Amino acid sequence: MAMALMLSISTCFAEIKNAKEETVHIYGNCSICKSTIESAANVKDVVQVEWNKDTKMAVLTYDEKQTNQDEILKRIGLAGYDSDKFLAPDNVYAKLETCCQYERAAKIIAKIEASKAVNLAVEEKVVAPILEIKTEGEQLQLKEVFNSYFAVKDALVKTDGTLAATKAVLLLNSINAVKMENLTKEEHSEWMKVMKDLVFDAEHISETKDAGHQRDHFTSLSKNMYSLIKVSKQETPTYYQFCPMANKGKGANWLAKEKIVKNPYYGSKMLGCGKTVETIN
Amino acid sequence: MSHFIKNRVLSPCNMRMKSLIVFIKTNAIITVFVLFSSTIFAQKVVRYDLYVKDTLVHFAGKEKRAIAVNGQIPMPTLTFTEGDTAEIHVHNQLKEETSLHWHGLFLPNKEDGVPNLTQMPIWPNTTHIYRFPIIQNGTHWYHSHSGLQEQIGMYGNFVMLKRPSSPSFRKGIDDLPTLPIVLSEWTNLNPENIHRMLHNANDYPALKKNSVQSYGEAISAGHFKTKMKNEWKRMMAMDVSDVYYEKIFMNGLPSSELKSISGNELKGGDKVRLRISNGGASSYFWLTYAGGKITVVANDGNDVEPVEVDRLIIAVSETYDVIVTIPAEKTAYEFLATTEDRTNSASIYIGNGIKQLKSPLPRLKYFEGMKMMNDMMKMNGELDDMGMAMSLNQMDMNVVMYPEITGDAKPKQDDNDPNRYNANALGDLVTLNYAMLKSPTITALPKEAPIKELYFKLSGNMNRYVWSLDNKVVSEADKILIKKGENVRIVIYNGSMMRHPMHLHGHDFRLLNGQGQNAPLKNIVDIMPMETDTLEFNANVEGDWFFHCHILYHMMSGMGRVFSYENQLPNPLIPNPKLAQRKLFADDRGFHFMAENDFATNGNDGMAMLQNTRWSIGSEWRLGYHDSHGYEVETHIGRYMGKMQWLMPFIGFDWRYRKFGIDEQETNLFGQSNSKDLRSLVTVGVNYTLPLLIVGQAEIYHDGNIRFQLMREDMPITKRLRMSFMLNTDKEYMAGFRYIVNKNMGITSHYDSDMGFGAGITFSY
Repeated sequence: MAMALMLSISTCFAEIKNAKEETVHIYGNCSICKSTIESAANVKDVVQVEWNKDTKMAVLTYDEKQTNQDEILKRIGLAGYDSDKFLAPDNVYAKLETCCQYERAAKIIAKIEASKAVNLAVEEKVVAPILEIKTEGEQLQLKEVFNSYFAVKDALVKTDGTLAATKAVLLLNSINAVKMENLTKEEHSEWMKVMKDLVFDAEHISETKDAGHQRDHFTSLSKNMYSLIKVSKQETPTYYQFCPMANKGKGANWLAKEKIVKNPYYGSKMLGCGKTVETIN
Repeated sequence: MSHFIKNRVLSPCNMRMKSLIVFIKTNAIITVFVLFSSTIFAQKVVRYDLYVKDTLVHFAGKEKRAIAVNGQIPMPTLTFTEGDTAEIHVHNQLKEETSLHWHGLFLPNKEDGVPNLTQMPIWPNTTHIYRFPIIQNGTHWYHSHSGLQEQIGMYGNFVMLKRPSSPSFRKGIDDLPTLPIVLSEWTNLNPENIHRMLHNANDYPALKKNSVQSYGEAISAGHFKTKMKNEWKRMMAMDVSDVYYEKIFMNGLPSSELKSISGNELKGGDKVRLRISNGGASSYFWLTYAGGKITVVANDGNDVEPVEVDRLIIAVSETYDVIVTIPAEKTAYEFLATTEDRTNSASIYIGNGIKQLKSPLPRLKYFEGMKMMNDMMKMNGELDDMGMAMSLNQMDMNVVMYPEITGDAKPKQDDNDPNRYNANALGDLVTLNYAMLKSPTITALPKEAPIKELYFKLSGNMNRYVWSLDNKVVSEADKILIKKGENVRIVIYNGSMMRHPMHLHGHDFRLLNGQGQNAPLKNIVDIMPMETDTLEFNANVEGDWFFHCHILYHMMSGMGRVFSYENQLPNPLIPNPKLAQRKLFADDRGFHFMAENDFATNGNDGMAMLQNTRWSIGSEWRLGYHDSHGYEVETHIGRYMGKMQWLMPFIGFDWRYRKFGIDEQETNLFGQSNSKDLRSLVTVGVNYTLPLLIVGQAEIYHDGNIRFQLMREDMPITKRLRMSFMLNTDKEYMAGFRYIVNKNMGITSHYDSDMGFGAGITFSY
């Protein structure tokens, strides 16, 4: 085995001109790592890398007129393997086989001053002072319903049918937990109108994992939530948003707490499609 | 310049006395004003001397010609402070003319640097002085506006700093350590050749970029129907970019390190401000950062309210000021600029220590993009936005091609698969769009000024590389007249299949993006296909100002207009406006040449063509090696009609000679007697591009014979294999294959009804 390896190395080396040889340390665990590292690094007639999984040392042989050590180590880094010069991107490391995930030195996080920048997603989550205690009871009930609705919406933005189904169950529970006596007059009358349909849509969304099917029900769910939230005072503004292409081109709406448009009917395929048509305070 | 001296009307009676008093008064006023102004305007004159010279570079494996200024590429960074007077001496040491345009600067028209519009070119071995006051601040850049010089090194940073006492000075933003970066590209091909190849629809760049999208690749990706439908709609395979570049640079280097600024070493926790200008000739760049979020604080040299994003795309000629933070100690984080087509990138490592890499953007899913284009394109070439009313880059239709957002490509995907929409954790990456930009100050235009509304439709044709506004190129359109003092509002709709960075000289415009009175000020707007954007500006500086797509090869093809102020004073630098205009128009009227010849065993098959925006003069020949094979030459002079240019009527001349060869046909399909053995005829006819890109031809000879022909060339079977076929009513037919070896050479084999089977080598230019 070693002989065969030696022979193959010597024949490979014969093709690299202006050969420069260096030994460097590359992190990794097993033979899968070895093949990943070497296939990322090797370039026919230009670069040949031989990594030893026990010593974690690699012998680089390369044509110094055509490339340099940095280029080779960068390729290895982008394949998920740290060296002393380059750190692999975290997301690539995370995708390595579990057996390959070598131990990485933790970074020393520096102290950073608070950023003055506006993070558009965060901007709208400013908490307003609590309203009169008398209405807090009712507020909490409908607030739960709305929060569960937003959770379903966010799951659909991610096109995660399984998550949407789970959140729809919570929505159903919060709808059923509402005590109509505790609602205000306007909320009560609106609640009477939409409750049955809310239950219907929430049930259907919870019973399937197919995002497409869930989105069909989300159209009517959103419409009813809209009429409900219009009569129910909330602490922070809610945005009523519209996408003209949803619902087979007929267009559909949804409610969101963030101003930046994230489309629940198309998810990442057309995340930004749509605009805010109304701000409900 | 305002007039310090008011006009005075003198009454004839008291003229003598009054005139004396007036004389003294006026002079006193003048003297006071001059003293006053000299204290205000006696700011620094900042002088730069730029020596423009030919040079040889070795950027990508071959020694090539480039242009260096003061011995460097990019050109030196020019820095000023608002209030300075800039004085730039340009010494042209090239053997050709040159010019320098100051992108986004407010200045008198004659300093704008557009040859044949605002000045005559700077001739070889002469020096031209640009002199103007700096009345603004921000990150800008400068570049040659002559020919294609911008592609080979004539680009550089142009930074104007705020006065520290300025009320718009932002603490924590304007006082950070800063680095100007100009992004650019390098190609080993001569840019004139690139321009020619683009006009000849040579798909060699696609081969280098692996974006040929052949039938073979379509089949293995499960997209045969997509490819077929695409060609049925008469589209050629499209990429987001046209040109192949060997290298991408940040300040002239593909990879560099930023370890300290102004002598201070960068360490964990530090914030750095990057003044980024896209000096590329045709590339858009995605900007991403290994150390986390990017905060955008300015755009096109104008402040915007800080907005935090995960990534942004910078259009050709745009500038963005961004702030990034170094999150950890002893680590240098990669700031990456990747071309929109994902084939290449440049990096700068910010900080001191081990380099933290950023995941590169993965290759595009071309067939997903093709499918999207099929849905968006009607048979007549018009685009259909399906009621989406898109604007301001809010909806990126290309997202279907981005694996990092919509997941990896899946071979042979079933359209009815309920799981085809994959959940993707990266789907909530925040990408900057124009609707997120807000000016910190009110930018509303003067209310009393009259409004002039203009509408433009960007039009284009990939197959013939014709790019225009309202289907008219610069040389085909009149100047657009505007009046000083009026508000000009322009609505632009992009009816073409590519995005375009539209740039206005001499003015900033408000981009109406829902931020009301705080609409951001820009000087270029990137419009994606089917988007509509509205911009407005106050016409406050007279002159002739260019408005054009900043993709260099589109601009040279005529995609632009000239805004001209009515009743402006004549430009002292243009003594002969008519001659200057002819030279300006010559840019898009140029003819492009292509030729190829197949040296095969059964004869020489070839063609040569000279074509420009609307005209084509071409010859095709089949020359056998002996009389029984025959010789024929067909020449056509045609004019393309219509926006899509599918129709081309022509007149021509057909000559052939043959002595009793194989496959003798006495009559053609219509029973007319065939003149195949000796023919010398004038013809009139028409070409029409049919679905599947088959060219149908109908021709009448002056002897009354009629011929119909169908022909398809260069059908992409695999990445390197092309197929052609032809058949006509003279009962002739041909079919063949060509294997592309390199840019100029291919190996062929074909069967021709007149000359039989043959194999050979094709050389093409």
